[in-house]
Amino acid sequence: MIDVRNVTKRFGQGQAAVTALGDVSLTIPEGSFFTLLGPSGCGKTTLLRLIAGFELPTEGEIALDGQSIGHLAPNDRPVNTVFQSYALFPHMSVARNVGFGLEMLKRPKAEIDGTINEMLDLVQLGEFATRRVDQLSGGQQQRVALARALAPRPKVLLLDEPLSALDLKLRKGMQSELKRLQHETGITFVFVTHDQGEALAMSDQIAVMSAGSVRQVGTPEEIYTAPRSRFVADFIGDTNIVNATLLGFDGDAAKIQFGEGTPLAVHTASTSLAPGPVHVALRPETIRVVDESAETALLRGEVVDSTYFGAGSQMLVRLEDGVSVHVQVSTPRPVGSRVGLECDTSMLHVLED
Amino acid sequence: MGVAANISQPDAATRLRAAQEERARQRRRTRLLLLAPALGIIGIFGLFPLSIALVYSFLEPGTYGGVEWVFSYDAYVQFLFERDIFDDTLAFNSAYLQIFGRSFGLAITTMIGTLILGFPVAYFIAARPPEQRNFWLFAITLPFWTNLLIRTYSMLLIVRDEGFVNLMLMKIGLISEPLEMLYTDGAVLAGLVYSYLPFMILPIYASLEKFDFSLLEAGHDLFATRTQVFRHIIIPITRPGIVAGCVLVLIPALGAYITPELLGGGKKLMIGNLIALQFGSGRNWPFGAAAALILMAIVLIALLVSLRAGASKEGGHG
Repeated sequence: MIDVRNVTKRFGQGQAAVTALGDVSLTIPEGSFFTLLGPSGCGKTTLLRLIAGFELPTEGEIALDGQSIGHLAPNDRPVNTVFQSYALFPHMSVARNVGFGLEMLKRPKAEIDGTINEMLDLVQLGEFATRRVDQLSGGQQQRVALARALAPRPKVLLLDEPLSALDLKLRKGMQSELKRLQHETGITFVFVTHDQGEALAMSDQIAVMSAGSVRQVGTPEEIYTAPRSRFVADFIGDTNIVNATLLGFDGDAAKIQFGEGTPLAVHTASTSLAPGPVHVALRPETIRVVDESAETALLRGEVVDSTYFGAGSQMLVRLEDGVSVHVQVSTPRPVGSRVGLECDTSMLHVLED
Repeated sequence: MGVAANISQPDAATRLRAAQEERARQRRRTRLLLLAPALGIIGIFGLFPLSIALVYSFLEPGTYGGVEWVFSYDAYVQFLFERDIFDDTLAFNSAYLQIFGRSFGLAITTMIGTLILGFPVAYFIAARPPEQRNFWLFAITLPFWTNLLIRTYSMLLIVRDEGFVNLMLMKIGLISEPLEMLYTDGAVLAGLVYSYLPFMILPIYASLEKFDFSLLEAGHDLFATRTQVFRHIIIPITRPGIVAGCVLVLIPALGAYITPELLGGGKKLMIGNLIALQFGSGRNWPFGAAAALILMAIVLIALLVSLRAGASKEGGHG
């Protein structure tokens, strides 16, 4: 288990100092596939480098299984990294690359050779042991980097956008491969990515980051269906954010109203919001199109655009207050027609900002 | 139709072959023409002077310099043996071997000195942001703009008894008498290291410039200490630059002439001074030529052996 407690990281001094991470706290459960997700510059790589030991925290503490590691050198931490550029040693064979960590730990030669074979089999590169790394393809280099980082059996494996240099097909393959490796080894994986699809597909838990802080931590389902903030809702998948009025709370549920419509009880990210205008998130695939006059319609508007994408069409509906909503349908209504939109109230979600 | 095709086919094949041969001939001619300037330069400035030296080394010395056109291998004999003036018997004489040994010792020490000083400098420059590197490289090459002779004279002014170093040391009271630095081996070594340092820095920088510094992080991440990262990652990857720098320093340092002459006071003969002496007051051109060729042979053999050793070591990694 990794405990990140109130970690702040600033680069530079005085006036020119840039805060890359501001008072971040996180708990990464043991044996989980944990993803740090966010746009570039959000601090996710800095957090990873702090856990690896390439950077030291300006303030705060990082603990691994209860022991403070925040100020140890990288070579004193039972943590290994898969680098974005792979950083394979060009002057060594594949086997020596994989065995390097154990070699530095001065393990017996027989153990090193055994582990090298085991790791190369694990990443399905058994017959490449004697090759030079520059004779391998990008995908193969990626797997060597994985094997090299896994060989010393670290407690935590850090992966810094390892799939970003691969083409789409290879990336899909590596996603399931990484998932399999994590299951087989039981090692905690901390995975950094800016690709929300990748994060949703692979993770046990996701921490969504922006501007140097963690915005939300949760399972992919929680992050997708119950985003807390506008930022998270926007960043994860396609989403619509519409205006509503908060009337009050009924236990854990929020009572809201669209325009002058009937009050509805829906999920909320926070029960400490003040009554008044709020934002509500709803996913395009949960919306159904009905006639404008239908009783069940929650929102009403005019179709302004319609795009065919094979499996269906995406319609753009402009609501009465000017907000545009994406809707996925199998048979689109003609542009210019007025429609009603309905959805299960369980799919609505009040955001905290 | 069938008959006509049968007749014309071998004919076409022959013509095709003839055309191909003609094209191949043309290509060979073009290649030779394109190579001509390079071959010309190597021939005129490399092989031709070398063959003069080779021929001269097998002739007899002229009384007032120059050579007598009589075949003799005396020059090579003289390198190892002393001929008795009266009865012509040969006695082993190690004086010239000692000169060679001293020169090699000095050159190797110079090489090690420039390596120890040059590597950190090259690393420093390579670790600068790209826009700053050119400034530092400029600073390294700046001394080349001044003649070596003048730079060596300046060294002489710095290390002599009334020189800058002694004056400063006496002023701060560390010494009361000037240290005798000029005309010592130390002065020669310092002069050589100073002169040849850029030849060590530049090739090492060239190999470090392409160095991927994330490999250092990868090494540390895989439990290597700083020393281990240096030994197992930095050194092997920059080895070509280090070897090139060592060769570029060792070879000219072996034949150095000005520095031992000025800073060593010519008290101890080095190969360079020995050879220069033969063409000057020694008036023994064949012996000078022979000494130069022996030096060249030793360097060539040493290089080949070290290259072979390096190659087999590289192969062993596979």
